[in-house]
Amino acid sequence: MERDIINYTLEKLKANGMDHASCSLEQSTKYEMNVETGKITLIRTVFNNGLSLYAIKDNKSGSYNVNKLDQETIDQAIATVIEIAESSEPDPAHAIAEYQPPAEFRTGPNKPNQESMYNRLEEFLEQVKNKYPKIMLDNAYFDFTHRVRYIANSNGTDFTTEKGIYRFSSMFSGHDGERSSSFNYTGYATQELDRELLAYGSLDTLLQQSCEQITTQTLSGKFVGDVIITPDCLSDFLSYVFGITIYDGALISGTSVYKDKLGQQVADPRLVIHSRPVSPEIVDGYFITGDGYQAENCTIIDHGILKTFLLTLYGANKTGLKRAVNNGGCYVVEPGEKSLDEIVSQIDRGIMVARYSGGYPSQNGDFSGVAKNSYYIENGKIQYPISETMISGNLINMLKNIIDISRERVDFGSGIYPWIAFSGVTISGR
Amino acid sequence: MQQLGLEKYAPLLAGYTELRAHKNHSVTIGFLKGNNVRNVKSTTSGISARVYQHGSWGFASSPDFTDNSIRQVIKAASANAAFLDSKQNKGKPALPAKPIKAEHDYSTNKPRLTQKQLIDFVKQIDHYIAGKYPDLTSRSVGLNCLDMEKLLLTSDGSYSYSLHPRSLISVGFTMEKDGNPIELYDIFGRQGQFEDVFGDPAELYPGIDQLYEQLRHKVEGVYAEPGVKDCILDADLGGILAHEAIGHTTEADLVLGGSIAAKYMNKQVASPLISLVDFAHHALGKTCPIPLYVDDEGTEAQDAVIIDQGILKSYLHNKESALHFRVEPTGNARAWAFSDEPLIRMRNTAILPGKDSLDDMIASIDDGYYLIRPSNGQADTTSEFMFGVVLGYEIKNGKLGRAIFDTTISGVAFDVLQTVSMVSNEMSWSVSGMCGKKQPMPVGMGGPAIKCRVNIGGR
Repeated sequence: MERDIINYTLEKLKANGMDHASCSLEQSTKYEMNVETGKITLIRTVFNNGLSLYAIKDNKSGSYNVNKLDQETIDQAIATVIEIAESSEPDPAHAIAEYQPPAEFRTGPNKPNQESMYNRLEEFLEQVKNKYPKIMLDNAYFDFTHRVRYIANSNGTDFTTEKGIYRFSSMFSGHDGERSSSFNYTGYATQELDRELLAYGSLDTLLQQSCEQITTQTLSGKFVGDVIITPDCLSDFLSYVFGITIYDGALISGTSVYKDKLGQQVADPRLVIHSRPVSPEIVDGYFITGDGYQAENCTIIDHGILKTFLLTLYGANKTGLKRAVNNGGCYVVEPGEKSLDEIVSQIDRGIMVARYSGGYPSQNGDFSGVAKNSYYIENGKIQYPISETMISGNLINMLKNIIDISRERVDFGSGIYPWIAFSGVTISGR
Repeated sequence: MQQLGLEKYAPLLAGYTELRAHKNHSVTIGFLKGNNVRNVKSTTSGISARVYQHGSWGFASSPDFTDNSIRQVIKAASANAAFLDSKQNKGKPALPAKPIKAEHDYSTNKPRLTQKQLIDFVKQIDHYIAGKYPDLTSRSVGLNCLDMEKLLLTSDGSYSYSLHPRSLISVGFTMEKDGNPIELYDIFGRQGQFEDVFGDPAELYPGIDQLYEQLRHKVEGVYAEPGVKDCILDADLGGILAHEAIGHTTEADLVLGGSIAAKYMNKQVASPLISLVDFAHHALGKTCPIPLYVDDEGTEAQDAVIIDQGILKSYLHNKESALHFRVEPTGNARAWAFSDEPLIRMRNTAILPGKDSLDDMIASIDDGYYLIRPSNGQADTTSEFMFGVVLGYEIKNGKLGRAIFDTTISGVAFDVLQTVSMVSNEMSWSVSGMCGKKQPMPVGMGGPAIKCRVNIGGR
């Protein structure tokens, strides 16, 4: 039935004069358990559909997304996307993926083990209560999502993807009488429930730290020091860097400071960052890019050298540069040679930043924000948790000022990150 | 949507149950450097049921509005609630009920514009900018319209239909100085469908001209000097402070989850100059940016006076938290999409205006900053906050000085509000408030300018 809808849609779009068209049909089921204030409070079952149409006529393009699959909706969707496309401004850069051999991709279970989910969640709540009695769980969400997608276009591409994945996330804080820590949060994805929830990602570490962070100290004055960015925080920092430099927006507008840096050294030679959406080490990846290509793994920064931008087909046509083989994300950062303890021991004065709460960085890479859930480091030792401390610097420069990369890494299911120490960051207290 | 006739399913709603039909429709058009890079419509709709059973909740949703689908959704939500109740056995009492019937439709009576007419409108703005300001490195113009339509039936007798639209145009500029890109943006629009919000593109030109002038100042700007400074937070920053740093800490679910506000009820948490309200639909005689009359639990929305002359007076409640705290629900339960359960969310959160003029406030500062436009914001359950600031000026000897580059301000909100020494006599609302708390949600936030001491980041 799904293929019939896609074929019908593409044929109708062609019959109505569209030069090119693509269609994606998705059916999903999410089963989710919610925790509030340490108790399971809600169970949700969410069924959904998605029909996404994209059409090009005379270099004009438009998109329409709707979540119903009945005949009336489909016919309206076809008429709507034609109207949208015909309304747009012509741009020869609009295009769809060329023909690729049909393929099917499947990963993960196709339905949740609901009893195991409930038992794992109850086990987690009990473990937190016993192991970390000072922790208050503000919330936790544990879900299983199963999604089947059919993707085809008028050039003959025909892909089917099916994915089942468990995802867990939680927000929590430490409390002792009137005193409390800042909240912290983390999450991860997994295809199996064979381990306790506390064993995945950085969850156990962050819960322990939140207990330590009930009592904090403030720093006075400002200094330029070293910062160790933790794996949770590093994923945010890399998203910021790539967001202002190597995606369509920054390159089409010409604001990217990396626009002329392809093949050049942009970071410390020890830094290697891959994007691996189809690697076995990434359970929460993707098979097809947003513009209809079979996704491939790539290396974005190889020993400090910028190897690729993350341009879509449109972005590539617009800039004359090469289309990326994936949409980014699923970042795997190569480990270093030293342990985290050894890296800490090298720091004269600085902080370990476990969460960054700050303004979105400027296009030139300048950033400033609050170092949350963080620790002061002096004379090679972690001294104490800190609060009300701000950091500022430049992301582009930071990548060149790496002190060391840890050999330990954290696997979040959607990315794998080490701890990285950077120099030259302004740290200011009260 | 009203043709669905949800009333006929009332006999199927056992215990406490909500049945909600919900449609979000959006139009997004984007021009980047003259290129029409985005041209998208989306419609997401469906039916959901949420069932309460002795303190345990079950939820289910489906995109189909068919009779069979609606019955299946009620059945699945009931089964989820029953399963959880059998495991948890919380034994909580029934939720408070105060049924209301209401209809609030903010759709336009004017003929709807076509996609082509909308694109032409945006293109005309882009042409104006390209022609008048050729020295810009880059420019973006975007249109985003969202219609949120809901039909709600609850087992305790509430029935509500609402359609809340919002239409926004964002304009962003980039200039280079010494090879460094420096950007600034602004957003225009308000509640209402496009035809009711925007007339002639030329009406936006004065705001666009002002944005360009502000960027010119910023290009010649300086880094802020880091540290705790006397600052004036203009209305948009005061609004984000009210929303992020105070409002969230007083959401009753976060209070139960460990928010610092749990220990502050009826205590002095701010300067007596500060009164802060989460308005339901009207504030100071005018309609709020997000007027909410009935929430997604069928509760009539009431103003919640969070801080009255510096004293913490109220939290924000849904039915369940009101039951816990033994107060009346305030009507703060809101859901983003058909597939989302209602959460405690703010509506229109603002500090009330005071008696000072902005000029006097600036004149009162020897060395500080006038901070005008935020980018993003986040706050902790301890009320420690940070806001990105993309437009601000130095204040030196009582006068505005140079513009500053992007920076961040931070502090502990309940401490910062104790330092408020002046509050301006004018109030304005941010046009594009959006909150993230598991689900996104349009919100109103605003207020007057306030003078306070706050930690500012810089070099």
